[in-house]
Amino acid sequence: MRRLLPIVLPGLALLAWEVTARSGSISRIVCPSLFAIARELGTFAIRSDHLTEAWISLYRALAGFAVAAVVGVPLGLALGRSPSAARLVEPLLSATYPIPKIALFPIFVFALGIGSLSKVSLVFLECLYPIVINAAQGARAVNRVVVWSARNMGASPIQILGKVVLPAAAPAVFAGFRVALPVALIVVIITEMIGSADGLGYFVMGALADLRTDRLLAAVVVTAALGWALDGLVVGSRARLIFWEQHETYFN
Amino acid sequence: MPDWILSPSEVVRAFATALGTGDLLPHVVASLARAIPGFVLGTVVGVALGLVAGVSRVADLMLSPSVFLSYPVPKIIVLPLVMVWFGIGDISKVVIIALACFYPAFINAYYGARSTRAILVWSALNMGARPIDLFRKVVVPSALPMILSGVRVALALSFILLFAAEMVGARSGLGYLIKQSENSLRFDLMYVSIITIAVLGSLGDALLRLLGRRLVRWREGRA
Repeated sequence: MRRLLPIVLPGLALLAWEVTARSGSISRIVCPSLFAIARELGTFAIRSDHLTEAWISLYRALAGFAVAAVVGVPLGLALGRSPSAARLVEPLLSATYPIPKIALFPIFVFALGIGSLSKVSLVFLECLYPIVINAAQGARAVNRVVVWSARNMGASPIQILGKVVLPAAAPAVFAGFRVALPVALIVVIITEMIGSADGLGYFVMGALADLRTDRLLAAVVVTAALGWALDGLVVGSRARLIFWEQHETYFN
Repeated sequence: MPDWILSPSEVVRAFATALGTGDLLPHVVASLARAIPGFVLGTVVGVALGLVAGVSRVADLMLSPSVFLSYPVPKIIVLPLVMVWFGIGDISKVVIIALACFYPAFINAYYGARSTRAILVWSALNMGARPIDLFRKVVVPSALPMILSGVRVALALSFILLFAAEMVGARSGLGYLIKQSENSLRFDLMYVSIITIAVLGSLGDALLRLLGRRLVRWREGRA
């Protein structure tokens, strides 16, 4: 019985959806039947032009995220370990952090064009903040005793950074990744909705204009799958790389 | 120089003009009238359900799998669907913002409640706390720092969603103003609206941090 609890709410929602769609009292533009959505999903899977849209969105999200990770993790670790670096960069970082970077998109389009470059750059900018901030917090919170021991045993600063600080900060770094990756996908979809001629964001706006809600929902499912895949990637690699640290809690 | 680059002094002058002519303020009001209800609705429902799912096994099993399953999905993708259902007026914007704010609020409240130290719960039970006291005086305060950081994330998300929703389909608001001034090559007005969104975002975040410092005053060290 308990094992069935997780599927109660989604099951009821889907059932209500299908009953509403079948009853015919509501236009199928508002509520297409699940079978129509499944058929569109099948079309999506076999049509290469549809799959290309998904691939373009995925490519943009991953490209911006990857550059942000490559730049952000070393920058964050440096900020966490060096007080003078922190004093130099942190005021700028905390002043610009709450600004919704997405508002800069029109400027990015004027500067870098309407293609992938402006979108990837904006993804990079949005992903950079959570990655840098989390890496810095992680590097700052490294237990002093561990660093002292390493130094005592004759480790060089580079060795300390690579073998002590990085592993100790890894959970925080992954926390940053896990925030940044969904943000990357959000930014890609939004920028494609606003100004683009390809990608999933463009695709759903086209489906909306054609009032093809079934096709729209199929694209929603595809986007959801991308989100799951990316999140699974982060969680999976985190589980492989970090296997220590446990807290004793009550409600488990 | 391309003409989309303006000097800071030109932008400041444009700001003063826009404030004087009333080009700006109605759009600010329109944006806030969408963002604030959506943000409040999403975070209140999210925190409440997250706390309940954190302490109750049945609620946990019923809610958490669905929430965690749909969490990595970019919520903005359902904006067209929300527009089909609720029209292109304010309601669809409030709904999409509330939907996006719900997730960080729920997840942080959930983990905040679940990470309540066992020893605190035991002590409270030992001193004869009823379940409602346990919830109000132990679980909620101990989850509060995490709840606040979730609410901060929700606020940032609400601005992103607001901007996107207003750029895609609106007749007022800052997102609309940015798009409109970009289309009519009024770069001065475009910068003014971008800066206004940035200022509103920073202001909201500063307010939340102030609130956070008041609420979790007992915490030692840096927040």
